[in-house]
Amino acid sequence: MMISIETDTEGYVSLKTTINEANLNNSEKFKAELTTLLDQYHKKAVLDMSSIGYMDSSFLGALVSSLKHAIAIKTDILLVGLRPDIHNLFTLIRLDKVFKIYKTLNEAVAG
Amino acid sequence: MIPAKENKILLVDDNLLFLNIMVQAFKKTGWECHTASSAALALDKLKVGVPDIILSDYDMPGMNGIEFRQSLMKLDEWKDIPFVFLTSLSDKETIEQGLDLQAIDFIIKDTPINVIISKLNNILLTVNKQRELSTIEVQNAAKALNIKSIPQKTPQINGYKVDFCHHSYHDIPGGDFIDLIQVNERFTYIVLGDIMGKKWMAWYFTFGYLSYIRSAVRFAALSNDFSPASILNKVNNIICLDDILQDILSSLSLLMIDTQEGIIIYSGAGDLPLLHYTAEDDKLTEVKADGLLLGMFADTFYNEEKITLNKNDQLFIFTDGMIDAADNGNIKTDYQGFKQKLAPLLANGTKFGDIKERLFDMNPDIVVDDQSIINITKTS
Repeated sequence: MMISIETDTEGYVSLKTTINEANLNNSEKFKAELTTLLDQYHKKAVLDMSSIGYMDSSFLGALVSSLKHAIAIKTDILLVGLRPDIHNLFTLIRLDKVFKIYKTLNEAVAG
Repeated sequence: MIPAKENKILLVDDNLLFLNIMVQAFKKTGWECHTASSAALALDKLKVGVPDIILSDYDMPGMNGIEFRQSLMKLDEWKDIPFVFLTSLSDKETIEQGLDLQAIDFIIKDTPINVIISKLNNILLTVNKQRELSTIEVQNAAKALNIKSIPQKTPQINGYKVDFCHHSYHDIPGGDFIDLIQVNERFTYIVLGDIMGKKWMAWYFTFGYLSYIRSAVRFAALSNDFSPASILNKVNNIICLDDILQDILSSLSLLMIDTQEGIIIYSGAGDLPLLHYTAEDDKLTEVKADGLLLGMFADTFYNEEKITLNKNDQLFIFTDGMIDAADNGNIKTDYQGFKQKLAPLLANGTKFGDIKERLFDMNPDIVVDDQSIINITKTS
């Protein structure tokens, strides 16, 4: 599995990626896992991406598609633990306007 | 895992001594080796990076080689990795079972290691040759259909020189697309997009995107609505209604050169900030748009930036493949690093034509994507 389930509480499910290099080789599998988890838990997902050191456009596309799926089923994906390079990339291409990004799980939960 | 020129192998065996001997032998002949002492650990390794070939023991505690192969077969991204069984068993039934799972070969452990390595070299040569032939067939088909996602020539624009450079990843067409559309003597549109995927799967969609963009530009010209932001808005709404493309996201930089007013109007969708080189003070500054990726949400607002180039000023528009950089053996995305490397190359007004190939030599070992860059220089 590329995503581990950390905690499942009433308001949200906390998830964590397990991969370092997020690219074409794992983007489809990641999307399938994440959308399955969204369907299964049907609640806000807080995704810790601190394991990821590099993310290519294929993977970004998979992440955004997962967010579109989350919105379609009236839930959300919150991102935490982005490394500085990844966070900069999100800012450069304006994905920080689309995803709610927090430093930590506690901040994400507090909103 | 940085792509290297040598073959990459994942060796899976619970016998650590045998594994070490294999690693030494493979490394001596130039292979990049990754190892796992169980099938479960091998699955973890594959999440980090995909090798060119897998050589797996059959008889292992926990998940055996057949079960390991069955796990790989379930996933599209792993099922096509060439897989070879290595076993001390010569049981006919087991061999048949393995070959039914599309294992390429079955090598008995008693085989001398140099023979094993030769066999694997031959297997990879055959696999790569087959892939090359498939690539050539699709390239020929694309050529026959006369579909191109990169222009063959640049237009002549009064007062401006437009040039570009594009390198596809491993010579396989990918998701980057460029177009230069001169609608009349006054207006020329510069298009640079990047479908968020790679290789063929991204390339196929570039034509859908380009068709909509070309049509939107032409319709805009016919209706005297030349605004790049308005064009982006229309293209985005069409993409969001397209059953096929609505799940395919793309960045897009759209610039309109207006030779009459001597300005460039820029609108961007999830693209990287442009870089504007001013010759007078030898400075490189960022030009940012604020639009979201095409295909993300319908009715997205796209803004416009007015850019004025003075004589010998340059504008750079580029895709994310240009900003990948090496970082202690890993890859990272480094926009600022690219900017810092570009700046000294432009010192004293050096022209794009003199430096464009050098831009692609910055990090040759870590190229993992298409690389495209367009340059607009004010010539008078």
